[in-house]
Amino acid sequence: MATRKAVITVNRPREEVERLWREHDQGDGQAVSFRKAPGDRGTEIHLEIEQRGGKLGEAIGSVVGAAPLAKARDELRHFKQLVETGEIARSDGVPEGEQVQRKFKQRPAQPLPASERQEVGV
Amino acid sequence: MRANVWSGRNTVQVENVPDPQILNDRDAIVKITSTAICGSDLHLYDGYIPAMKKGDILGHEFMGEIVEVGRGVSNLSVGDRVVVPFPIACGNCWACQHELYSVCENSNPNAGLAEKAFGHPTAGIFGYSHLTGGYAGGQAEYARVPYADVGPIKIEDDLTDEQVLFLSDIFPTGYFGADLCNIQGGEVVAVFGAGPVGQFAIASAVMMGAERVIAIDRLDYRLQMAVNRAGATDIINFDEDPDIVEQLKELSGGRGPDAVIDAVGMEATHGHGVVHTADRLKQATRSESDRGHALRDAILACRPGGVVSVMGVYGGLLDKFPSGAFMNKGLTLRSGQCPVQKYLRPLYDHIKNGDIDPSFVVTHRLPLGEAPNGFETFKHKQDECVKVVLKP
Repeated sequence: MATRKAVITVNRPREEVERLWREHDQGDGQAVSFRKAPGDRGTEIHLEIEQRGGKLGEAIGSVVGAAPLAKARDELRHFKQLVETGEIARSDGVPEGEQVQRKFKQRPAQPLPASERQEVGV
Repeated sequence: MRANVWSGRNTVQVENVPDPQILNDRDAIVKITSTAICGSDLHLYDGYIPAMKKGDILGHEFMGEIVEVGRGVSNLSVGDRVVVPFPIACGNCWACQHELYSVCENSNPNAGLAEKAFGHPTAGIFGYSHLTGGYAGGQAEYARVPYADVGPIKIEDDLTDEQVLFLSDIFPTGYFGADLCNIQGGEVVAVFGAGPVGQFAIASAVMMGAERVIAIDRLDYRLQMAVNRAGATDIINFDEDPDIVEQLKELSGGRGPDAVIDAVGMEATHGHGVVHTADRLKQATRSESDRGHALRDAILACRPGGVVSVMGVYGGLLDKFPSGAFMNKGLTLRSGQCPVQKYLRPLYDHIKNGDIDPSFVVTHRLPLGEAPNGFETFKHKQDECVKVVLKP
């Protein structure tokens, strides 16, 4: 069992980031810590991720799209986007927003037909 | 709607695709009135940018009329005429708040892919591969514009589309290239590439006070435009004499230019025979993605202590980087996709004041349906092509 870190910096003060993190109920069972970023750049979020099977497990996981580390990184990006911009960045190729399962299964960069929009929920 | 889509190497076609919809509150939908083919679209067309997918709508230089706005957009209304900057930027992250819009931390939903390629994610870009987000581009009848409250600039004057369209990319990009050179007045500036970005880099260097501006290309008609329209004082045609570094020395009293702008990028066509052949071979076998003659010569030509400003697009890795010249001459190397949002207002003012009319680069006007011909004409520099504008 190896431990890896997923980290991100959110451009908001620490108290606000911690409060929003709890409200969003992020990271079940993950060890989270917060640090003030140097130079007034907001707050660093550090997530400790338990990685089953070490590097090999991580590699297999990233192929099948279930690697906890990659998923945690997606979640951190979504959290940062929601806190900073109020929404999750969506493109035509990745309408759900950043998602490890989409990495090698991108839609073409053209608008979604209505049926697909319903599936994605946008 | 009709849109110009990438369908493989050297192939684009105009197809029917679904109309774009609002996906987020800060989105707007623009009905496009003018859109252009960019030199950097040719890197996609030629197949040198990874992470393209069949069906991707191309185009990142466009303008038009707002036809729908999301609930979070209060500064724009239906009917407004806007130019849309090519980098997609949220306006809220640390990078955006420091005017580094082209490396916005939030707008690329393929941040993980970009991180693998570049070490860090960069901003989303319209119609520019899945590495920059997988966003549909603007060579279409309509486009969805995310963070519409931050990017688009309203055009409220009686200026034509062609006078303001290039605020979307090539005018700010050329200006940014010159801005990075720290021009104070009296400099010698050399510009590799007299394509549209090169033309605007030359015009901007002149506006900023450079005294001698040297245009470098192999096409006479482009060099003539550089002199007659952009304000270049000297030209080098490397088809006539390939030793650019030596000629730049001659044109600068042996000192070398104070600043050199690379407006060429990864598909440079000049270069010494053996090196060029090696580059072509490595590029063809995918063991090197970028042909870098312009950048190499820029570093060799620049005066000690000078600035090399890279606006040409590079996508991956480059061999034979002249690190000795770079280090021992104490050069400053600066670069980036242009943070267009930073320059929109001041450059719009320059156009309104009549300091520059960017429409001088336009040589071809085509309906959107003829986009495939436009790409071929532009790629092969047929019919003295400099810039193609498409009308949906």
